[in-house]
Amino acid sequence: MSELTQIGSINERPRIPTRDEVELNFSDKAITELEALKTHYPELKACILPTLWIAQREYGGFLSGEAIAEVAYRLQRSYAEVEGVATFYSMYNTAHKPGKHKIELCTCLSCHLCGTYRLRDFLKEKLGIGHGETTADGLFTVEEVECLDACDRAPVIQVGDTYHGPVDEGYLSKLIDDLRANPESTVVKMADEMVKVHIRASER
Amino acid sequence: MAERKLLFEHTHDPAFRTLDGYKATGGYQALEKAIKMDRQAVIDEVKASGLRGRGGAGFPTWIKWNGIPKDKKTTHYVLCNADEGEPGTFKDKQLMETCPFLLVEGMTIAGHATNADQGFIYIRGEFIDAARALRSAIDEAYAAGLLGKNIMGTGWNFDLDIHLGAGSYECGEESALMSSLMGERGMPRLKFPHAPLPTVAGLWERPTLINNVETYCCAPFIIKNGGEWYASLGASTKNSRGTKIFSVSGHVNKPGNFEIEFGTPLKELLEMAGGVKGGKLKACVPGGSSVPIITAEDVDRAIIGYEEMSEVKSMVGSGGCMFLNEHTCIVTFIWRTALFYANESCGKCTPCREGTRWMLQILDRIRRGNGQKGDIELLKDICSQIDGRSFCGLGDAAAWPVAAALRVFPHEFEYFIENGKSMVESEPTLAMAP
Repeated sequence: MSELTQIGSINERPRIPTRDEVELNFSDKAITELEALKTHYPELKACILPTLWIAQREYGGFLSGEAIAEVAYRLQRSYAEVEGVATFYSMYNTAHKPGKHKIELCTCLSCHLCGTYRLRDFLKEKLGIGHGETTADGLFTVEEVECLDACDRAPVIQVGDTYHGPVDEGYLSKLIDDLRANPESTVVKMADEMVKVHIRASER
Repeated sequence: MAERKLLFEHTHDPAFRTLDGYKATGGYQALEKAIKMDRQAVIDEVKASGLRGRGGAGFPTWIKWNGIPKDKKTTHYVLCNADEGEPGTFKDKQLMETCPFLLVEGMTIAGHATNADQGFIYIRGEFIDAARALRSAIDEAYAAGLLGKNIMGTGWNFDLDIHLGAGSYECGEESALMSSLMGERGMPRLKFPHAPLPTVAGLWERPTLINNVETYCCAPFIIKNGGEWYASLGASTKNSRGTKIFSVSGHVNKPGNFEIEFGTPLKELLEMAGGVKGGKLKACVPGGSSVPIITAEDVDRAIIGYEEMSEVKSMVGSGGCMFLNEHTCIVTFIWRTALFYANESCGKCTPCREGTRWMLQILDRIRRGNGQKGDIELLKDICSQIDGRSFCGLGDAAAWPVAAALRVFPHEFEYFIENGKSMVESEPTLAMAP
C-alpha cells in the first residue's frame, strides 16, 4: 500500500496500482453498478466521482487508502490522481473514519442569522465534540458545513440523506436519541443512495 | 403585483411529480410541438422570448443554444448546472424536487434544438431528494419513450443521466463543473477568448450546451405558448423577460421561494415573505451572497430586473434574497460571508486563494475587537486585487460583498475598529459566533 504513494524517481509518473498491490473488496452489486456507470461516459476517468461513492459505501463510510487504491485499480488511474480528487470534495470521508451518523450543521449566512452557532455549542455540550470530531463510542461525527441551500428551513442540519429544519435544542436532543437507537449507519446509507440515483432503470 | 406562478404553478401538487400527473396539466405538449419544428425555429422562439440565464450571470440563453455547431461532426451534449450552492438560494432544489419533469422536458427540448446525443444533470451531492425525484422522473420518461432510443418515433436518440457532485461550491462554475463531471478536482479552466466556448469544446472537447435548472424549466413554456407570449411577461423592464424565482430567507416571517414577474418592486417580495421579523429592516442581499448588500432605503426603491437592480448598485444574481433586521451586525455578517469564500475557494488562482484568506483574517480581528487603524483601507486594497484577477467568478464574488459593505456601511466598520465592539446590539445568538 505504502509503495503506491511513493514516486521512485523524478521521471516516474504516479502509476496505476497492480493487481497484487490491491485487495479487491467490492461486492458483486458494486461491480454491476460500476459496469453500468462505465457505459454513461466516453472515458473511464469520469467514473471517478461515482465510483468513490460506491467505495465509500463498500468500505463502511470511510475512504481509506485501501479503498482509494481499489478505485484507482478498477478505473485504471493512478493512486495519486484518485486521492487528489477524493480529498478535494468535502463529502468524501478521507481524513478519518467518521462515526455511524454524521451530523452536518449548516453555519452559513441564513443559518447564522437564525442562530445556528447556539446549536453548535449545544451539540458540543451534548456530545462533547466539535467540528470534525467523532465521539469515543464511534456513533457520532459533527461537522460544520457551508450553505446546504435550505435557507427557508434555517437553522438546518443534514444527517445522512435527510434534511432537518428548522431545528432547535429540543429537536436535536430527540434526534440524537433516535439516532442512537438506529442500527443502520446513515453515513453508509447516504453513500448507497448517492450511487443508486446514477443507475438507470434498465441497468438495475 | 403579486406572485406570478408559471414554473411553480403545480409545485404543491404531488401528482405533478408523476408522468401522468404532469401530462394531465399539459406536460410534454411542448416537446411534441418542438420535435416537429425545425431546430432553428426552436432556437428562434427562445430568442424571441428574451430568456436570460437564471444561474446568476443573466447571459442571453438563445446565444448559447445557437452557438452549438449546426453541422454535426461529433457527439453533442446538453448539460444542466444543478450545483446550486450560492448561500441564500434554494430555488433549483424546490424545482427539482417538485417539478422534475419540467427539467427533463426542458432538457429534451434543448437536446432537440442542439441535435444532442446525451444530457447530464450535475446535481450537488447534498441534494439527494432532488436527485431521487429526477431519477424517478427520468425512469418514467424512458419507459414512456420520451427518452432513450427513437423519441416520439422521430428516430432521434437522447439519453439523460444524473451525475452527483460531492461537496464543492466551486463546481457551480461552468468550467469547474465540467472538470468535475469528467472526474477531476472541481477547478475552473481558461475561458473565452483565451479558450474556445463550451458550445464548441465543452465536455470531452465536444460541443456542450450548459444552462441552469431554472433556465431549462422555462423552455417548455416558451415553446408551448410562443416566445412572444413569454416576452410579454416583465415587459415593463428594460431587458428582463419572464418570471424569476426568488428564494427569500433571513429575518423574515415566511421564508420560501416566490416566483415573480420581472419589474416587481423588491419591497413587494419582502411583503410576500411576511415582512421583517424581529425589528425594522436594515439591509438586504438581494441575489445570493455574492451580490452587493443594499440598505433598507434602497429596498424601498429597487425594481427587480437585470438592469434595474444596477440602479441600487446590486444585482439579480441567482435570486437568493436575504433580509437583515436592525439587530444584525454587518461586520459579523460580512465576516461570515468572507469565511464562506475562504472555505470554498478551490485554490487554483493565487489572488482568490490568498486574498480570501487575508480578508477573513482581517475581518476576524476586527470582529474580535482587535481591529487596527488602516484595516478598512487594507480590506479595500485586497478587494481590488482579487476582483477580476482569477480564472473564474469566485474571486470576484468574494470581493464584491466586502467592498459593498465597506461602501454602504463604513461607519459600522469604523466604530468596531475604534471601540473594539459592535455598534449594534445583536441578539445573543449572533454574538455567539466563534
